Amino acid sequence: MKVTNVYHNSYDLLSIPKAQARLFFTSRYVDTILVGDSGVGKTSLLVQFDQGKFIPGSFSATVGIGFTVMLLGDSAVGKTCVLVRFKDGAFLGGNFIATVGIDFRNKVVTVDNMKVKLQIWDTAGQERFRSVTHAYYRDAQALLLLYDITRKSSFDNIRAWLTEIYEYAQKDVVIMLLGNKSDMTAERVITHEEGEKLAKQYGVPFMETSAKTGVNVELAFHAIARELKHRNLQQPHEPKFKIHDYIESQKQKSSCCGSLV
Amino acid sequence: MAADVHNKGVSWEIKNGNLAPSDRLRQDRSDSPTPGLVEGTEPGAGQEGAMFVHAQSFEDLTADSESNTDNKSAEVGDSNPENAQKAALEGGEEEVQEESLEAEQEEVGKEEVQSSNKAKEEDVTSETWRSHRKHVFVLSEAGKPIYTRYGTEEALSSIMGVMMLLMSFVEDKKNTIRSIHADGYRVVFLRKSPLILVGVFRTSCSDRELTRELHYVYYQIVSLLTLTQLNHVFQNRQSYDLRRLLAGSEHLTDSLLRLLDRDPGLLLSAVMCLPLASSARDVVSSSLQAAKAKNLVFSILLAGNRLVTLVRKKDQFLHHMDLHLLFNLVVSSSSFREGEGWTPICLPKFNPAGFFHAHISYLEPASDLCLILVSTDREDFFNLSDCKKRFLERLRRRSAYQSLQEALNMPSYPVSQVGIPELRHFVYKSKSSGLYTSPDLPAPYQEEEEHERLMGLYQHLHSCLHNPTRPLRYIYRCAETENLYALVTSGFELYLCFSPLGTKGLAVSAVNKLLKWIRKEEDRLFILSPLTY
Repeated sequence: MKVTNVYHNSYDLLSIPKAQARLFFTSRYVDTILVGDSGVGKTSLLVQFDQGKFIPGSFSATVGIGFTVMLLGDSAVGKTCVLVRFKDGAFLGGNFIATVGIDFRNKVVTVDNMKVKLQIWDTAGQERFRSVTHAYYRDAQALLLLYDITRKSSFDNIRAWLTEIYEYAQKDVVIMLLGNKSDMTAERVITHEEGEKLAKQYGVPFMETSAKTGVNVELAFHAIARELKHRNLQQPHEPKFKIHDYIESQKQKSSCCGSLV
Repeated sequence: MAADVHNKGVSWEIKNGNLAPSDRLRQDRSDSPTPGLVEGTEPGAGQEGAMFVHAQSFEDLTADSESNTDNKSAEVGDSNPENAQKAALEGGEEEVQEESLEAEQEEVGKEEVQSSNKAKEEDVTSETWRSHRKHVFVLSEAGKPIYTRYGTEEALSSIMGVMMLLMSFVEDKKNTIRSIHADGYRVVFLRKSPLILVGVFRTSCSDRELTRELHYVYYQIVSLLTLTQLNHVFQNRQSYDLRRLLAGSEHLTDSLLRLLDRDPGLLLSAVMCLPLASSARDVVSSSLQAAKAKNLVFSILLAGNRLVTLVRKKDQFLHHMDLHLLFNLVVSSSSFREGEGWTPICLPKFNPAGFFHAHISYLEPASDLCLILVSTDREDFFNLSDCKKRFLERLRRRSAYQSLQEALNMPSYPVSQVGIPELRHFVYKSKSSGLYTSPDLPAPYQEEEEHERLMGLYQHLHSCLHNPTRPLRYIYRCAETENLYALVTSGFELYLCFSPLGTKGLAVSAVNKLLKWIRKEEDRLFILSPLTY
């Protein structure tokens, strides 16, 4: 929840479940509360009142929690494409343009009716950017580690990446292994089983994705968001969120749909 | 480093917020300009001195320096390249250099055989590969390929071997190979240890111009790695394959080479500003000045290939070449449009030994306005991200954003605004500010090919004006499709392109008229009051 101090103490609330929202209302300083669905203009109204102007085209959901997710992996495995697929639902076809340094973007996802803001670091896979990537490892709560199923070297390097992750990242960081470009069946050199085996060895969840068709891309980010949200806001009586089971159940669904088409 | 070059004993520090020009300068400026102007009072000269480091203050920009005293002979015409070469003695460096004519012709023949062989192994057919106007090759001192503009490096490893051989053959005799001229080609060599750069050009440009382009490519590579790292890598292993470290950067060098053909700024060692009402620019500059952070060294706002404003740390100067490299980085990477980029970058003219870290982002995904914040701290991302937010807030609060957008949507300005009917195009550089201005390209030059042809003509004039042995003050050239006039004074450089119906008299009188017009418009066309933090 964001608190904006204006003349009246106005509180701009996002549409969170009533039970949670009620907790905040007990404060005696609250004079005015703006409630309503997401995107109806609660914040805009407040800004208009506070600063006397309207800021068009700047909708950013007022969010309660935010997490940092980082995309890692060799150069040209499709990190930027996966991100763009997730963020804009589009595929970056055409020429490969390497990411320069690291690239920072935001995306808000909804988990159980709650807005979760993901700050996503898209990193360059090239060696010369390693030092700058290292500097931001520890800020990340989740890491998506990608390899290209059509390129063995990118898969072989996963172990090196994991070693690096254990060295620089937070201890409790959520790691997920993604085998990207799953649409390129003809060029495949790493089987699904090999990927699964490696993931099991390191105890990290695994799935194959395709930025081109969008398979499992949404799921990867949502699973991460769900896991992080549960970790942060877990009620004592709530059962622990099991990311592995969640992925398995969801993956099943998407592959069913896929086979129908 | 170069601060002393600019201070000239005058303190131009201004109080924050006071952007009114000082009286003294106004007086100087009120005089109508004449071509004999002294540096610092020409139209477009900054009131607080230069924003940029002058090219002349650097040793290796020989191609740009006017005071250079090397006794390379002037080229009389393309018909007589041998003469030029024979006299191509370079006095500026440690060694006296000359070339052996015999080796020259023999080797060129060899090379052509080589290149046609190699071309077959590539995707491109040999003819297309060979017919490219400008080839650039970079190799290590061990002869390992690092970069080629066309084709793949692997396929060219033997041709690079020949280049290496040529170089060491001449060096063995305590000489340095500079260039080979034959059959309309110029092969230019540049050794910047631990790299060797070779250009094969089908052009009439002088060697100095071509060497300048190779220098740009060299600095592009240094900006990715730093010179320290480059040296370190090759000290450890001579045969290191540098392409591993440069992976993914080929398009940067490609794009730089395209810029060299099109952007007069790289030729003139100058930067173009976005035409903008001075009041609006002042608001933008001061907003940027206010959004400072501890380790911030430069804040640069670009609009496409034009500079909107630059705010720098006191006593720190940006070299125009570093700015061109930053600009090249921005235009050739699409990823900054959506998010916020954070990348290490070495500004080789500022300090070739270390990395700066640049926060690069567009103000809006759809807009051409790109903000570059350069910091010394690798972990400064969030600070600079915050700087950007504060800058944007300030800009919106003072409603300057709208006028900035409007200026951006308009084309630069048509040459007809000047009111000289025969004038088609011009490029004017104010030497003391390091800024230049140029109208939109008119109809016959809008096509890529014609655009590059015009730039080629300007380049030719540039090399005539800056000829090391016989520098010219002005030159008038009649060609079939246009008449060209160029002149240089201590204060400015001016290149004009007239329709073929124009006369010399008209050209000379046009200069005064144009200078008056530029003087009138200078606060829109130039940044007259650069700010510091």
